[in-house]
Amino acid sequence: MTWAVRFQDVSKRYRGGGPRYASLRDDLAQLGRRTVAFLRHNAVEPRGTLALDRLSLEVEAGEAFAIIGPNGAGKTTALKLLTRISYPTEGRVSVRGRVGALIEVGSGVHPELTGRENIWLYGRIMGMSRREIYRRFDEIVDFAELRHELDVPVKMYSSGMQLRLGFAIASHLDPDIFVVDEALAVGDAGFQAKCVKRMMNLLGSGKTLLFVSHNLYAVEALCARGVYLSRGTTVASGPIRDVLARYLDDVDEHRATGDAREHVTGGPITLSVKCIGPDGSPRIQTGETLEIVCDVQCTHPGTGAYFHFGVSDRGQGNPLFLASQIMNGHGPIRLADRDRIICVIPDIPLLPRIYEVWGEVRGDHGWGNFITWQKLATFRVVRDPKDASASVSHEGVDAPIRAKFWFDHETRTVGSV
Amino acid sequence: MAQAMVEMVIEGGHQLALVQGLRELWAFREVIRAFAEQDTRLKYKQAALGVAWAVIQPLALLGIFIIVFGRIGKVSAGTVPYPAFALAALVPWFFLQTAVSFGAQSLLMDSALVRKVYFAREAPILGAVLSSGVDFIFGFAVLLALGPFLGMRLSWMALFAVPLWMVLAVLASGVAMALGALNVYYRDFRYVLPVFLQLWMFASPVAYPLSAVPHRWRELYLLANPAAGVLDGFRQTLAEGRFPDLGPLLLSAGMALVIAWLGYSLFKRIEQGFADAI
Repeated sequence: MTWAVRFQDVSKRYRGGGPRYASLRDDLAQLGRRTVAFLRHNAVEPRGTLALDRLSLEVEAGEAFAIIGPNGAGKTTALKLLTRISYPTEGRVSVRGRVGALIEVGSGVHPELTGRENIWLYGRIMGMSRREIYRRFDEIVDFAELRHELDVPVKMYSSGMQLRLGFAIASHLDPDIFVVDEALAVGDAGFQAKCVKRMMNLLGSGKTLLFVSHNLYAVEALCARGVYLSRGTTVASGPIRDVLARYLDDVDEHRATGDAREHVTGGPITLSVKCIGPDGSPRIQTGETLEIVCDVQCTHPGTGAYFHFGVSDRGQGNPLFLASQIMNGHGPIRLADRDRIICVIPDIPLLPRIYEVWGEVRGDHGWGNFITWQKLATFRVVRDPKDASASVSHEGVDAPIRAKFWFDHETRTVGSV
Repeated sequence: MAQAMVEMVIEGGHQLALVQGLRELWAFREVIRAFAEQDTRLKYKQAALGVAWAVIQPLALLGIFIIVFGRIGKVSAGTVPYPAFALAALVPWFFLQTAVSFGAQSLLMDSALVRKVYFAREAPILGAVLSSGVDFIFGFAVLLALGPFLGMRLSWMALFAVPLWMVLAVLASGVAMALGALNVYYRDFRYVLPVFLQLWMFASPVAYPLSAVPHRWRELYLLANPAAGVLDGFRQTLAEGRFPDLGPLLLSAGMALVIAWLGYSLFKRIEQGFADAI
């Protein structure tokens, strides 16, 4: 196989802390500083921030390649360089083939033009003939689900509609290399699935895919290889599992040090939930015990509440399994003003991956749902380094209820039998 | 991969050679056209009076000129009535003015695209110049219709409008590229532009004849203002219906080419940073 995209020691420096426009006054001041430095034979310190620092990578033709990393890592900068929107300060980017790019929402979409006009304009920018665009036109409109809005200026569209149009245009105008950046986050679940399917199709027909996303599920599902960037430098690259593992390790570490527990409030109670494994971190191994630790503050002590938790892996809250007090026939927990509820899920039958804990809290009478069904925390199942052959059989199965609640008035804990 | 793919190398610092740039521009000719169509559509779609503006603006200015320069200032128009004389230069001047001002703003107007897609960056500017050409056609049609009533000596000499327009278009492209490129980096140019265009108009033989410029200053005047010879050429061929003076005309044409080349070079020199700065 040959490469489709290649970065060789690419650096990008933005002036003044980021892409922004200068004023004449700033530049004149800078000119003055340089002149003084030149006269005194001083070296001029390069100003601005380094968004990419000697990045090298090769994307094979026909593969799906992911770029992941925290905000400000240089992911979008890298994509902008390879789409020739922006130019490297140093180094060289080489691209083979036609690039179709969706960089952030509304890429390549002109707000003043209608959907129809945008399709034509972008098609011509991509170097397609009228005949080619004409042939694709209906397909694009169908994909974007935009029949009625076709002759309305895009600035009137919702962000979801803009995304649909942008994605439809960029992915249907015969790119050899398809670049998608963060865009999917805006669409609804149905459209996201459609996009992933479309990307799979492109891959199937031999196109190259470059994918930047915070949606690690999608990254894992689509891409075989990837690179993890942080502050413009490569932290890890190679097979996507390794890259993701490294990234998640750093995220875990960051969480552990940053104590990023979120509070959720509803009715009289405030929840703060975290997941811990045997070692106290939100990383557990297949078969170990997971504790969902739930700190509760209650403004009306004595309020009765039922707790439900579910473990989900697809970011949509469809649980793989549930732990529910009502289903188990337990009575409500009478909350003190400060309480800790722990849901114990032993022997967790999950493969290495990220999972989410979803939950809800119901009042015993009159109050309805205190906390509606929502994402409360995440944990991660990691491979046991000693036992790399952890069992495979459970993945994807909607397992039966694994955990049962019990409530101990002595210890005020909910646990499983 | 069965088909041979174009390999593209993206590097900073090294700027495209001009010849290579022009070749790329040719490859993007469809895009220039697309921008021209889009500009024309946008300009009139959002305005209640639509295409009528292409005609109203020069006519309104004509009215002012007739009153201020024709009646009050009593500018000598030579052998033709002042309204005919003024209109013959106003229509092409209006083209130059709209082309430069829209051209210089076009990169910012299309910033949503510049930030997200690659295309030859000259395309929106040249598209804006072309779309101003559409205005010119409307204005010219009105000129042809009104001319005889105002006392123009319309003849076959009016066909000179085509090459004369082309010189103006080259000039407008050069100026718009230089101002448009600087406009991306320094928004200060947004404020400079209207003043600059006003000054340029009064420094051009639009309201007054070229012959009003004292003889010893005339060469300097023509050298300082590449539009002067062309505008005067329009007036001679349209209003006076005679063969234009070739000297000033060729001088203007030559300077238009030099300015276009300078503007284009400046544009190419700094275009790589557009997406970062816009």
